[in-house]
Amino acid sequence: MASSQATAMIPFAEEQLAPLRSLLADSSAEQRTWLSGYIAGFQAANAPAAAAAPPAAKPALTVLYATESGNSEALAASAKREAGKLGFAARVLDMADASLDGLAKAGNLLVIASTWGEGDPPQRAEAFFAALMASDAPPLAGLRYAVLALGDRAYAKFCETGRRIDTRLAELGATRLAPVEECDLDFEVPARAWIGTTLRELGAETPASVIHVDFMRPPATEAAAHSRARPFAAEIAELVNLNSSRSTVRNFHIALSLAGSGLAYEPGDAIGVLPTNDPALVDDVLRAAGLDHDDALRAALATRHDITTLTQPQISAYAALVGDAKLAAIGADPLQAAAFRAERQFIDLLDAAPHKLAAEQLAGLLRPLAPRLYSVASSRKLVDETAELLVAEVAWEAHGRARRGVASGEIARRRVGETLPAYVQANRHFRLPDEAERPVLMIGPGTGVAPFRAFMQEQEALGQKRRSWLFFGARQFTHDFLYQLDWQEWLRAGLLTRMDVAFSRDQPEKQYVQDRMWEQRRDLFAWLEEGAVLYVCGDAAAMAKDVHAMLARIVADQSGRDGEAYLRDLVQAGRYKRDVY
Amino acid sequence: MTKPPSANEGIKAASRLLRGGIAEGLRDRITGGLAADDQQLTKFHGIYQQDDRDLRPERAKKKLEPAYGFMARLRVPGGVMTGPQWLAMERIARERGNGTLRLTTRQTIQFHGILKGNLQAAIRGIHAAMMDTIAACGDVNRNVIAAADPQRAGAHKGAVDLARRLGGHLLPKSRAWHEIWIDGEQVVPAGDAPAESEPIYGPTYLPRKFKIAIAVPPTNDVDVFAHDLGFIAIEQDGRCVGYDVTVGGGMGMTHGEPDTFPRTADVIGFCTPDEAVDIAEKVVTIQRDWGDRSDRKHARLKYTIEREGLDRFVAELATRRGRALAPARPYAFARSGDALGWSEGDDGRAHFSLFIENGRVGGALMAALHAIAEVHRGEFVLTPNQNLIIAGVAPGERAAVAALLGEHGLANPAGGLRRNAMACVALPTCGLALAESERSLPGLVTQLEAALAASGLAEDEITIRMTGCPNGCARPYLAEIGLVGRGPGTYHLYLGGAFDGTRLNKLFRRDLKEPEIVATLAPLFSTYAAERRPGERFSDFAIRTGVVAATTAGNRFHEDVAA
Repeated sequence: MASSQATAMIPFAEEQLAPLRSLLADSSAEQRTWLSGYIAGFQAANAPAAAAAPPAAKPALTVLYATESGNSEALAASAKREAGKLGFAARVLDMADASLDGLAKAGNLLVIASTWGEGDPPQRAEAFFAALMASDAPPLAGLRYAVLALGDRAYAKFCETGRRIDTRLAELGATRLAPVEECDLDFEVPARAWIGTTLRELGAETPASVIHVDFMRPPATEAAAHSRARPFAAEIAELVNLNSSRSTVRNFHIALSLAGSGLAYEPGDAIGVLPTNDPALVDDVLRAAGLDHDDALRAALATRHDITTLTQPQISAYAALVGDAKLAAIGADPLQAAAFRAERQFIDLLDAAPHKLAAEQLAGLLRPLAPRLYSVASSRKLVDETAELLVAEVAWEAHGRARRGVASGEIARRRVGETLPAYVQANRHFRLPDEAERPVLMIGPGTGVAPFRAFMQEQEALGQKRRSWLFFGARQFTHDFLYQLDWQEWLRAGLLTRMDVAFSRDQPEKQYVQDRMWEQRRDLFAWLEEGAVLYVCGDAAAMAKDVHAMLARIVADQSGRDGEAYLRDLVQAGRYKRDVY
Repeated sequence: MTKPPSANEGIKAASRLLRGGIAEGLRDRITGGLAADDQQLTKFHGIYQQDDRDLRPERAKKKLEPAYGFMARLRVPGGVMTGPQWLAMERIARERGNGTLRLTTRQTIQFHGILKGNLQAAIRGIHAAMMDTIAACGDVNRNVIAAADPQRAGAHKGAVDLARRLGGHLLPKSRAWHEIWIDGEQVVPAGDAPAESEPIYGPTYLPRKFKIAIAVPPTNDVDVFAHDLGFIAIEQDGRCVGYDVTVGGGMGMTHGEPDTFPRTADVIGFCTPDEAVDIAEKVVTIQRDWGDRSDRKHARLKYTIEREGLDRFVAELATRRGRALAPARPYAFARSGDALGWSEGDDGRAHFSLFIENGRVGGALMAALHAIAEVHRGEFVLTPNQNLIIAGVAPGERAAVAALLGEHGLANPAGGLRRNAMACVALPTCGLALAESERSLPGLVTQLEAALAASGLAEDEITIRMTGCPNGCARPYLAEIGLVGRGPGTYHLYLGGAFDGTRLNKLFRRDLKEPEIVATLAPLFSTYAAERRPGERFSDFAIRTGVVAATTAGNRFHEDVAA
């Protein structure tokens, strides 16, 4: 009778129970576990406060990220949400703010780390990374972890930062829950899948817990209605090559209308643009593969596949596909591959060993076409529902072929009134200081000046006369002084306090922003000592390194202190910010 | 009724002897320009702010200020420089300017397109080559020009020596040029009065520019009558015994203002060589005191003389000197153009007069002259016709120079019209230009040469000069064919200027487009070929046959115009 007694105690009518029984009969153990937590969570969410059950001890999870462009940060936020649903007490931690000691007690750790440049960690993560790699790093036994590594296969040391963190955590005694997951530019889908799987595996090994679901409320939306996955068709309201017609380069000022998109950005953020490949290059690739009649593939190549970048794995894969021994040898040797890839693109691989391919073979060789991020050069407070971008045209000639950057090449082809798929990529680390009095030192040669124009527009809109000092550089004063009239106006109005410029090709001796910094070293150091926030934006390969070295030299020269240590402290204090690419 | 002084007078007075705010302006790297007042002052330092007018339309929409660049003009008395100086200037043009040297009608070199940030380096380079740009522009005595006639070594040396003495004596005494461009530090703090003074000029200098030329007959290459003050060498037994003095010449005028006009100078007497410098100083001081300081369009010496009368001016000069000039002596000019090609000097040295179209040296021509300058031990003489003489080629050096000239295709002479053609700089750098000049004349000459050849006149020498505005830098009013810009592609056509530079021309047709210029001149060429008298010049023919009336004096320039 136990059963009937039990039945009698069931507060459901039989017809209510039928679907529940049917659901349970077909369910997996995992589903039943989830359901039990879900019901508990539902009860907790809807019970009167006084009657709430004491909170169950939830397993702790730290999502630790190291980001440069914001991708890792966005994934970390998404992982936290996901973990919350699975019943973890999750927190997100920027590697810039993390300490090893704090980490030792984290329990469960999910690391999401991107690799920058030639295998480097993101700038703000440098200090933590160095401490982790140091010989005196503390033991981390008791820590359970998994690493998601982001990278770009076009670079030699793919996912290096994530790999090294994964290895090092194991060396320090932490327990690896899953092999390191390496993601290329097309990280979105695999990264989210991995996060889901890893969290569930982690959940299965931790005590059953209450799962929090915002059942009654609509599911948490993305920050904006439009995202990388669902970009907004932004109309080009303005498109001007800012360089003189006599310049050797072109930089486009492009105003995108965000009207009606709900997209909102802050100065310092970037606008992601999903580019379309050059139709002529698409045709060339199709022709080279003997697929020029495949219009479906033509459409896919136009918007979905990266047909310009050439990676070492592509060389090997193509060599295997067409059975080319010479290419296979190149693909197998990093040095040879690097030499081959220098100034070559995917089309050159096809040209090197022409072969008819099947559509799926060609598509299989190609990486997805990644969006391009451009630091926004405007403030909504001044330009309203518009985002202004500064896009350098990438164009060169190599191996008998004219080459163009995908997005900049497309923008050069575009006309006002056409649209570009765009979304906002937040970069909350590259913002004006909250304190209106804090001075800012801005170093932005070339297109690196874009966010500083946004800063100045913001200041202008707010009527804020913060002490501000801009260093700008380009090739020629007459032909390449980007936004010259804007800076002159802000200087006249007293919104911009100082500006120093360097033009490399105006005189026999090359001059760069770091030369101007050195000339002004006394004042520059004084500004730092007075609490200025230092921003560097622009070219990562040469400029950011040279500027960094110059900063260290200036600190040493002016104070006798260790320049590198001084700059590390600045980074830790959030007063040395970089947005480099 | 006295009119208020012009704005420039106030700028000069407040400038602390030409300093103004130039030094501060140079430190501002965010603009390529200088403050408006300082732009007036840099002229006294031989430096003009200009902008590339070809680029003007696109600049604002690209959020760029005008494409500012500076013109810097050398002071080269008599146009004589050394090979190393030539090489130094060429290097400055390549490294700091627009890669070209522009030889001018006043025997100097202009650099164009120097960025503000490069100005000091350029001027220091000039100084290091022991040259300068002081007073090459501005309301002062400019570069003194002298007959470019090294064939007659003694006469040439005498003329160049006088040019140097005159130029040196009339140089401003202000130290501002050295302070601003060479030392780079302000010796005189802002607000303080400078320690030096200007005994000849005074603190406001002259009302307007002042030009001096020295001619050695029979060559009038300097166009002596186009200058405020001129000296015509008088030779006896092959020796210069003194100079006839001319005053009141000048080219500039303004379209639509008949009280402005070009004027040929008057000969007012004869002086000995040792009197010349003092005469120049006294003429300058009369103009300093009597010149019009309220209207810059009437401020040149020629208008002072027109207003006061020549007799009164000559009397004042006698008063200031303490004695009158001796009566003028006879002289005779034969030509104003250069005799091109090789010539033998009376001292046994050879000279090669190289035709340089419009005086513009760049590209392959610059490379050729670089090669020559590296082997040539003599001098480089800039001519008032914008040409260049490789002067004083020693007998042992001639073969090497000749070979280089041949190798670079510079040995072949141009046709009779082209080698007597001159254009001013005009577009894109000159702010005054109303029409093209330097970029337009070569093509026009090609078309006119076809018309001349059709009439069998291909080798006949006819002077033709074009300017982009009426200010007269290429001395168009003294050409047999003068073309003065009115607007884009449009020119007034003047005829009848004497081949030897002694008579102004006369307006013949108004507002012609280029094809109309050719269509207008072609029938005149064929009539000239058919009906000219032996040795008769095109301009003399045009006057004899009534095509235009002769202009007998500057103040009659606008009279008897049939057009």
